[in-house]
Amino acid sequence: MAEYLYGLPFSVVDPPNLRLKRPSWLVIPGPMLVFSIVMLSYFLVTGGIIYDVIVEPPSIGSTVDEHGHSKPVAFMAYRINGQYIMEGLASSFLFTLGGLGFVILDKSNVPTMPKFNRYLYLFCGFICVLLSFFSCRAFMTIKLPGYLQA
Amino acid sequence: MIAAEKSLAGFKSLLVIIVLTSCCLLGFASRLFAVIRFESIIHEFDPWFNYRATHHMAENGFYNFLNWFDERAWYPLGRIVGGTVYPGLMITASSIHFILNSLNISIHIRDICVFLAPIFSGFTSLAAYGLTRELWNERAGLLAAVMMAIVPGYTSRSVAGSYDNEGIAIFALIFTYFLWIKSIKTGSLFWSSCTALSYFYMVSAWGGYVFIINLIPLHVFVLLLMGRYSKRIYIAYTSFFILGLIMSMQIPFVGFQPVRTSEHMAAAGVFALLQAYSALLFIKSNSTAVNLGRLILFATVGAAGFVFLVVVTLTYAGYIAPWSGRFYSLWDTGYAKVHIPIIASVSEHQPTTWVSFFFDLHINICMFPYGVWLLINNINDERAFIVLYAVSAVYFAGVMVRLMLTLTPVVIILSSIAFSTTFDKYLYYDEDEEEGDESEKEKKEIVSPRKRDKAKQKEVTRSKFYIGDVGANTKSMVVMVLAMLLMMFAVHSTWVTGSAYSSPSVVLASSNPDGSRTVLDDFREAYYWLRQNTHENARIMSWWDYGYQIAGMANRTTLVDNNTWNNSHIALVGKAMSSNETAAYKIMRELDVDYVLIIFGGAIGYSGDDINKFLWMVRIAEGEHPKEIKESEYFTPNGEFRVDRLGSPTLLNCLMYKMSYWKFGLMQMDFRTPSGYDRTRNAEIGNKDFTLDVLEEAYTTEHWLVRIYKVREPNNRVKSLQIKRHESGIKKKTKYYSKKSSKRKRGQIKKKLKIVKGKKLRKSKSKGKKKNL
Repeated sequence: MAEYLYGLPFSVVDPPNLRLKRPSWLVIPGPMLVFSIVMLSYFLVTGGIIYDVIVEPPSIGSTVDEHGHSKPVAFMAYRINGQYIMEGLASSFLFTLGGLGFVILDKSNVPTMPKFNRYLYLFCGFICVLLSFFSCRAFMTIKLPGYLQA
Repeated sequence: MIAAEKSLAGFKSLLVIIVLTSCCLLGFASRLFAVIRFESIIHEFDPWFNYRATHHMAENGFYNFLNWFDERAWYPLGRIVGGTVYPGLMITASSIHFILNSLNISIHIRDICVFLAPIFSGFTSLAAYGLTRELWNERAGLLAAVMMAIVPGYTSRSVAGSYDNEGIAIFALIFTYFLWIKSIKTGSLFWSSCTALSYFYMVSAWGGYVFIINLIPLHVFVLLLMGRYSKRIYIAYTSFFILGLIMSMQIPFVGFQPVRTSEHMAAAGVFALLQAYSALLFIKSNSTAVNLGRLILFATVGAAGFVFLVVVTLTYAGYIAPWSGRFYSLWDTGYAKVHIPIIASVSEHQPTTWVSFFFDLHINICMFPYGVWLLINNINDERAFIVLYAVSAVYFAGVMVRLMLTLTPVVIILSSIAFSTTFDKYLYYDEDEEEGDESEKEKKEIVSPRKRDKAKQKEVTRSKFYIGDVGANTKSMVVMVLAMLLMMFAVHSTWVTGSAYSSPSVVLASSNPDGSRTVLDDFREAYYWLRQNTHENARIMSWWDYGYQIAGMANRTTLVDNNTWNNSHIALVGKAMSSNETAAYKIMRELDVDYVLIIFGGAIGYSGDDINKFLWMVRIAEGEHPKEIKESEYFTPNGEFRVDRLGSPTLLNCLMYKMSYWKFGLMQMDFRTPSGYDRTRNAEIGNKDFTLDVLEEAYTTEHWLVRIYKVREPNNRVKSLQIKRHESGIKKKTKYYSKKSSKRKRGQIKKKLKIVKGKKLRKSKSKGKKKNL
């Protein structure tokens, strides 16, 4: 009885012979690709790209010195909630550089690596991390002249 | 041997407990700057309302709180408080108060409110420890707990006195995620019910719960896409969704939103999708067909599309509310600026600049990508979750400064994983070599438990973290540099907490060159004046920022406050502030305003005053009354906003300008500047000599920071509407005629004896009459 019921639709419908294929471009992205996308968006967001889009600041500020000459200013000082486009990108570049430095440090631990390469990796990673960290601090002191002082 | 191992394990867990306890203490202690510098005081704006509501709940009980109609806010509309707040915070504080008082520990509710956030910061670091341990290992977890306790991005919202929803909500958020990871891992109903319970607490505490109810479905969806579906996920998600849905609807403020609004539809859609997917899997398990896998894939995609279409159709049909503006502005970033000025006007809703990232996260901002890298390379179910959390939180933090708060925990978790991994790799030498320097606190806490079980895991460690032939010196150098970075982080956190995030903003402090502090207590001075000198039911008009403070400190009725639910009412106040006196007076009479309170920073150079906020008032007023108020009229022809002589006449004659600069033109601060020199905007004011007809100055505080004006009553003597005689055109008589008759022409002396010819002089009759009496 039940089989008859189940069979009933198929007396009317001829089940099609489906050949479904997953489109070839659709693959689960690999870790490297995902990481690169994350890094790129991270670079843009930490650089305040959304701020740049909404507020539309100039790319570099300018000021007039005592002789009346116009002088470019890279940092919008004393303003935590404001920035010029270039300073944002510069510092987010440093953030990203620091992050990559740590990745390079990690890479230097691959077991099958010649000694020289290992030291090279280590050195590069170090340079990246320290450079980015201390430049960030320097940027911060330009931005907030009282940074870390009482 | 076994006994030794046992004691070793016991020692290890003792150490873990010690570390976690000291984390809680550290988190608590580092948030007390404001209390030590000033006093135990509620900070900022929203906390004042929370405090007032908590006070009400502690006095009158929970049910009275739920039914509380506050007639002192939003005059004349009032506010149904019970149905328009997330009550979790108040319930938490007042239940602590209740418990302590029933134990006969009498403590004022204010102190509980002040210290609630620091206490919860300890819980947050415990939750961070749990979450990180589930994701990676215990060592990373301990580091995460330490960093969570001091990271500025979280401290900013949880210092003592910052009695706000976020203070407890971040704990609830992290704890919910911890339980979710637990339930994904175990697939047990117990853990997913706990997740739902914790979610319920989060819903009761903060509107940010929407983040959870979108992130968890997203996680499930991505796991489905990755082909990682399992029974555990099914059990975890379905039970969490159903329980969480029902429980979240118990909060009066949330009500039927979870089944009605678009923000929650992703969860429902994923729920339906999960059912479809598992049904298909069930069919597959009962079927003999060979190639059903692909069919299932396509059917799932079809089901997803179907669910999506249903949601879209229901939205169009009006059964589901579309995205509310607040959430919509997260996607379309320009939306708020154009359409909802009231959201865009709040400073914490501004988009984030790079400084905030560095300021709030410091070195972790660099470690974070490395953590992501580690997780992506060793992905599993729960790590996929944290990667999704990281990516979405970074985006949201970029859109709004305020959402740095949700980014901070994930950055801490990832960077502690990164630090811990690096330490794992570089901290181990041969036994005969010494351990690296241990001077630094965080590192020590991580190293110590590790050191204890070093012997036990020696072999494992060896094979797992084999570091090749980099010498011991290099390794210790790496360790030292990392330790130095962590130390800098600690210094930075302390500095930021102390100098930037511990200001109560009710009391302003500035430090002098010699290091001493000057405290400006003008706000409380003004509120206290209002409390003492005005009628109990006086209605105070101010810009909405100060509504909660006036209600909390001065205990007077306000027109608008920080619960910005009624845009048109706010626009009306904005219109009154930005119109000229006559128009403003009309509005103020309509709204029954007795006093007007404004903040004026020009005398001391305080930049957060009402003139600087003024353009937002104009904008909001323009949104509702585009005919009367036009933003362009407040700018100079060059498009500048300036208060000096070149400023636009509309600005120089509007009520806000007049109230701010009333009699300011007479004041000269020092000899280098002219009188009426505004130190905030560095300009000599343009309109010094004006009259204030409809208002009179009632009070101005010591540093001119707060100025209070009384609205004058309408004149008692109303001018006659009839035309005056001299204006009526009737001709004046050209010559003056005295009305005195010839008899009365001269002045006369009373009781003067009259001389009549032929009669004797006699005294007047009246005297004789008096005698008779």
